[in-house]
Amino acid sequence: MQPLLKVQALSKTFNMRAGIFSRKKFDVLKNISFSIGKGETIAIIGETGSGKSTLAKLLVGAYSADSGQILLENNTIENNGNRDAQCRYIRMIFQDSATSLNPAVTIAEMLDDCLKFNTDFDKTQRSEKIGSTLLKVGLLVDHQQYYPHMFSVGQLQRVALARALILDPKVVVLDEALSSLDPSVRAQIVNLLLKLQLETGLTYILITHHLSLVRHISDQLVVLNKGEIVEYGATETIFQNPQSKVTQRLLSC
Amino acid sequence: MAKFNLFSEDSNKSPLARLWRKFKNNHPALVGLWVFIAFSLLAATAPFLAPYGVNQQHSDALLLPPSWNEMGDVRFILGTDDLGRDVLSRLMNGATYTFGLSVVAALITTIIGVLVGTFAGISKGIRSSFLNHLLDVTLSIPSLLLAIIIIAILGPGLMNTVWAIILALLPQFIHSIRNLIVDELGKDYVTAYRLDGASKWHILSRGIFPNVYEYIVVIFTMALSTAILDIAALGFLKLGAQPPTTEWGAILAENLGLIYLAPWTVALPGVLLFLAVLSTNLVGDGLRKVLQARKAD
Amino acid sequence: MQLLDIRNLTIELQTSETAIRAVDRVSFSLKEGEVHALVGESGSGKSLIAKAIVGVLNERWVITADRMHWRGVDLMRLTPEQRRKTVSQDIAMIYQDPSRCLDPTAKIFNQIAETLPEVAAKGFFLKRNRERKDRVKALIHKVGIKNHEAVLDSYPHELSEGVCQKVMIAMAIARTPKLLIADEPTTALESTTRAQVFRLLKSLNQLKNMSILMISHELEEIVNWSHGIHVLYCGQMVEAGPTHRIFSQPRHPYTQALLKSLPDYEHGLAHKEPFYALKGTIPTLQHLPIGCRLGPRCPQAQKECVVAPKLSKHHGHSYACHFPLIKDIK
Repeated sequence: MQPLLKVQALSKTFNMRAGIFSRKKFDVLKNISFSIGKGETIAIIGETGSGKSTLAKLLVGAYSADSGQILLENNTIENNGNRDAQCRYIRMIFQDSATSLNPAVTIAEMLDDCLKFNTDFDKTQRSEKIGSTLLKVGLLVDHQQYYPHMFSVGQLQRVALARALILDPKVVVLDEALSSLDPSVRAQIVNLLLKLQLETGLTYILITHHLSLVRHISDQLVVLNKGEIVEYGATETIFQNPQSKVTQRLLSC
Repeated sequence: MAKFNLFSEDSNKSPLARLWRKFKNNHPALVGLWVFIAFSLLAATAPFLAPYGVNQQHSDALLLPPSWNEMGDVRFILGTDDLGRDVLSRLMNGATYTFGLSVVAALITTIIGVLVGTFAGISKGIRSSFLNHLLDVTLSIPSLLLAIIIIAILGPGLMNTVWAIILALLPQFIHSIRNLIVDELGKDYVTAYRLDGASKWHILSRGIFPNVYEYIVVIFTMALSTAILDIAALGFLKLGAQPPTTEWGAILAENLGLIYLAPWTVALPGVLLFLAVLSTNLVGDGLRKVLQARKAD
Repeated sequence: MQLLDIRNLTIELQTSETAIRAVDRVSFSLKEGEVHALVGESGSGKSLIAKAIVGVLNERWVITADRMHWRGVDLMRLTPEQRRKTVSQDIAMIYQDPSRCLDPTAKIFNQIAETLPEVAAKGFFLKRNRERKDRVKALIHKVGIKNHEAVLDSYPHELSEGVCQKVMIAMAIARTPKLLIADEPTTALESTTRAQVFRLLKSLNQLKNMSILMISHELEEIVNWSHGIHVLYCGQMVEAGPTHRIFSQPRHPYTQALLKSLPDYEHGLAHKEPFYALKGTIPTLQHLPIGCRLGPRCPQAQKECVVAPKLSKHHGHSYACHFPLIKDIK
C-alpha cells in the first residue's frame, strides 16, 4: 500500500551558545526516516531529550529541517528546509490545552480565523463548518460562544481537536496531548480518536510515554534515543521482542 | 486538584467583563477611578466651566479666604489670591495643564513605547537588543534632572517639559513592553496561530494585544503618576509653565510667599495634586491586583 | 500498630450561601509498614485529605471528623504548635512538581542540610561541618543519585525533574518519618524515572518499614506494590480494600470503569477497540449531585441513588453502592 506520509533523512541542528563567543552545534535529530499509511497510527517514544517534541514540530511545520524530505501522498511538502507553507494537511494538538488556546477570543472567533486564513468559505459556510466540527468532537454548537476559561480540561482538549480537524487534515500529530488527562477523560478522548480514525481514515502520530496506550492503539512504533532512530517497526513485534538496549530499558518499566 | 470557582455566573463572561467585576469589588480602586474620571472631565471642560477668567482681577476682593470661612465671599468659592484672581477658576484651568498634559505625555510615551517595544519583541538577536537598549542611557539620569537638562537646552516652556518627561519615561516602557511581548510569544497559542496560517500582523492584533493591553494600561497609570508629579515639580521650579499659565505647580510657586497670610492659596493646589496622583495610583494598583489574581487562577 | 486512624472525615468549604462538601465522610486507617493508595481523579479531594492530615489547609476549610488519630493522639484536639511538632517529627510529604517545590535560590546541598535533625554539638565547628557533609552525602546516595558532587553543587533549575524528585525524597526521609505522604509524585516524570522513583519508595517501605500513603490518579502504577486501595470519586469513598481483591473483583461501577480504562486490564480488549468509558464528565464543585455523586453518570443508577449509600463491609473489602456489581451474601 502506498504510504500516506513518508519522512526521509530528516536532520535538525541547533546552535547553542557555549561560552562567550563560541557557539556549539547541537544535533537534535539525525537522519530520521519512517513512513505511515492511511488510517494508521504511529507512536514515537523516547526519553526526555531524545528529540520527540522537535520531531513533532518539524512534521507540522513549526520548525524547518536542515536536510531531508517529507512527502505527503507523494507530494514533497518539505525539501531541505523549504517548507510548503500552504500545506495544512498535517495538524497538531499540544500537550497543555490551557496555554495552547488564546484566552482572549471565543472558540468561534478562533475557528473562524482558521477558516479565513485557509479557505474561501463565505460566512454561512464558515459557521456551518464550525458547528459541524464541534459536534464531531462531542461538544455542542453553542460552545462556540465560550471563552477558553469556561471549559474543563477534557473539553479543552476536544476544542484543540476541533481546531486541528476543522481544516480536514490527513495527519494529526498528538504531542503528549493525552498525558495530562485523568484516566476516564483520556479513555473518552481515545475512543473519540479511534472513532474518527475509523470513519474518516485519519492518520495519527502519537508522541507519548504511556506504553500501554501505545500498545493498544498504535500500529507502528519508532523509538528515539538522542535524536536517532534506535528501533522502528510494527508495535507488537517490538513489544514482544525488543532488539536494542534502549528499547528494552524503556519497555521494562 | 479542581479549581474552586465558586460563582459560575462569574465564569460565563468575557475576560473584560470578569476584569471589571473584580475591579468593582475593590472599593478604594473604584473610588480612585471615579476621581480619575472627574479629573479627566474637568481637564477637558475647564475653560467652559470656570466661573471667571484666569487672569480676571478683582481689585475689591484681594486675598479673600474660601467661602466657608466667615470672611469669605460666596462669589469666590475657594477665595482669591493677592491679585484678586479667583482661585477656583485658576485651579480648574490648571487641571487642563497639569492633568491634561500629563495624560498627553503618558499617552505619547505609551504609543512610542508600544511601537518600539513591539518591534524589539518580535525581532531577534542584535536588532532586538539595539531597540531594547536604545534609550537606556537616559535611565542613568533621574527623570527630574533629565528634564532640567533638556529645558536648559531647549529653553523653559510647557511643551518642552512634556518632551523631557516623555524622554525620561520611555526606556522603562520599552523594556516592560518588550518583556511582555516576548513572554506572550513564547506561549503555545502563538505557535498554533502561526500554524493556522496567521501573518505576523494577525498574531499581534488577535493574539498578543488582547492579552497584553491590560498590562499596558497598568504601566500607563504608573507613567501617568510620575508625569503629573514631574510637570508639577518643574512648574514649581519655574522651569516649566511660565506665569501666567495656571499650572498647579506654578501656582504653588507663585503663592509660596503668601503661605502665612493666605495659606489656602498654597494648600488647595497641593491637595488637588495629591488627589490626582492618589487616584491614578489607586486605579493602577487595583488593576494590577486583578491581573495578579487572574494569573494565579 | 495503627499509625493513622481516620473516621468520617468531612471537609467543607464555607461560602456565603451554603457549605460545599468537598470531602464527604471518608474513613481509612493505616498500619505500620503498609503502603496505602488513595486513588481518584481530579476533584476527588485526595490532595485535600493529605493536606488536612498534615494540617496545612487554611481557615476557609472546615474539617470535621469522628476520629483523626495519629498513633493514638487526636490531631484535632491539639493546638497548632503541638500539631506542627507532632506532624513534623513523624510525617513527611512529597509533592507533584518537584522543581517548583525546591527553593530556586539555594543550592541543593544547603536545602538538604537544612532538613537534617540537629545533633548534639560536639567538637569543633569544622568537625560538625564535616559531619553534616557526610550525612547529606549518605542521604543522596540512599536515594540513588550517584554523582553527588555535581548534584549537590547545582541549583534546582539546572536539574531534571527526576533528580529533583529524588532530592525531595531525600529531604523527606532525612528525619526518618514513620509515614511518607506522596501526592502524585510521578505525574511530571517520564517512564524510566517513574520506575526508579517507585522502586525507591518500595525499597524504603520494605527496608525501613516506612508506611507510604500514595495519592495518584493512575491505577496501573500502584497495583504492584500497594497493600490497600481507597477509591474516591468527588469526595465520596466509593470502594476500599486489599489491592488484589479490588483488581480481581471490583464491586462498585466506578472502580470497574477505572479498571476498564486501563489498556492492559482486560486482555480480551482487541487492538484499537474503544475503551469502556462512563459517559459525561466529573461534576464541578458547585454542581455536585445529591446522594451518590456518581448517580448521573452511572449506568446502573436508579431512584434509590439519590440517597448516599451506606458503606458495606465484606471481609475487609468495603464499598458504598446500592447496586454493587457482585452481591455478597451476608
